[in-house]
Amino acid sequence: MRISKKIITAGLFVSVFFCGLFLANVTAQTALTTDQQIELIRSNCISAKTTLNQLHSSDALLRVNVGQVYESMSAKLMENFNIRVASNGMNNTNLVSAVTNYGILLDGFRADYIIYEKQLSLAMAIDCSVKPVAFYDSVALARTKRVKIHDDILGLNQSLHQYRLSLDQFEIDNQVKLGGVKQ
Amino acid sequence: MEEPKSPQEVENLSPIYKHIFGLMIVFSIMIAIVLVLTSMALYYSSGAAQLDLSRPGYNDVRDQIDKSDDFLNYSSIGSLDAGLINEYKIMFDQKIVKIESVDSFGGDPLSPVSLGISTESIQ
Repeated sequence: MRISKKIITAGLFVSVFFCGLFLANVTAQTALTTDQQIELIRSNCISAKTTLNQLHSSDALLRVNVGQVYESMSAKLMENFNIRVASNGMNNTNLVSAVTNYGILLDGFRADYIIYEKQLSLAMAIDCSVKPVAFYDSVALARTKRVKIHDDILGLNQSLHQYRLSLDQFEIDNQVKLGGVKQ
Repeated sequence: MEEPKSPQEVENLSPIYKHIFGLMIVFSIMIAIVLVLTSMALYYSSGAAQLDLSRPGYNDVRDQIDKSDDFLNYSSIGSLDAGLINEYKIMFDQKIVKIESVDSFGGDPLSPVSLGISTESIQ
């Protein structure tokens, strides 16, 4: 019984020792990686900033071009079609709610782009050779904001498909009226 | 008609009246500053600044704005029948295909690897 207690105690000491050794090694590795990365940010500061500047410009252009298309889908197609349906005395409740949902998502896209652009501008304003960690964190934040915009785009596309399904349903529901109303 | 004031009368006027012209200029400048600050705040908060490619820094992309207006304005007036619905659906589907052909804001250009600031990028 005594022997087994000694063995257990020794085993515990050995375990604690090796755990400590392992943790110390991991900490040292992390610090090394961080230091390496900080040095890397400093050395690649100019090229990183050039890339950010180019991305800032190209994303602004993309925002303008993509925004125009999504705005037009709503203002030139869907809303006008819904008005036409209503003026012909047909029930367009589902179509209207689909367009309303699309409008909400479009507002979200606009707002998220403003947030992203501001964050990217903040990151670009940081001198990465002086404040590499702040620069890294700021870019990471801008990255999450950009992912959010991409999600908004996917949501808008999904919403367009939803409207398209509502259109099919509208056609089925009003088959008789549509066949009767002549141009 | 009011008679011109004598130097003695001018001397007796309140200091505000004596400097009325200068005060009006200062007041005008203050109003102008307030209006400019308000408009700049609206410009940035409304999102107009983000869409304004006439700003410095956008010279290289300014001429790449898609100015072709290939979006037909669907008429909101007129009758409606199955044929017109079908036409509208075809038009709508074409737009969806065009929109989805571009992976807008996709990719990961802000990742540390893409920016060359990750230790993975040099391994």
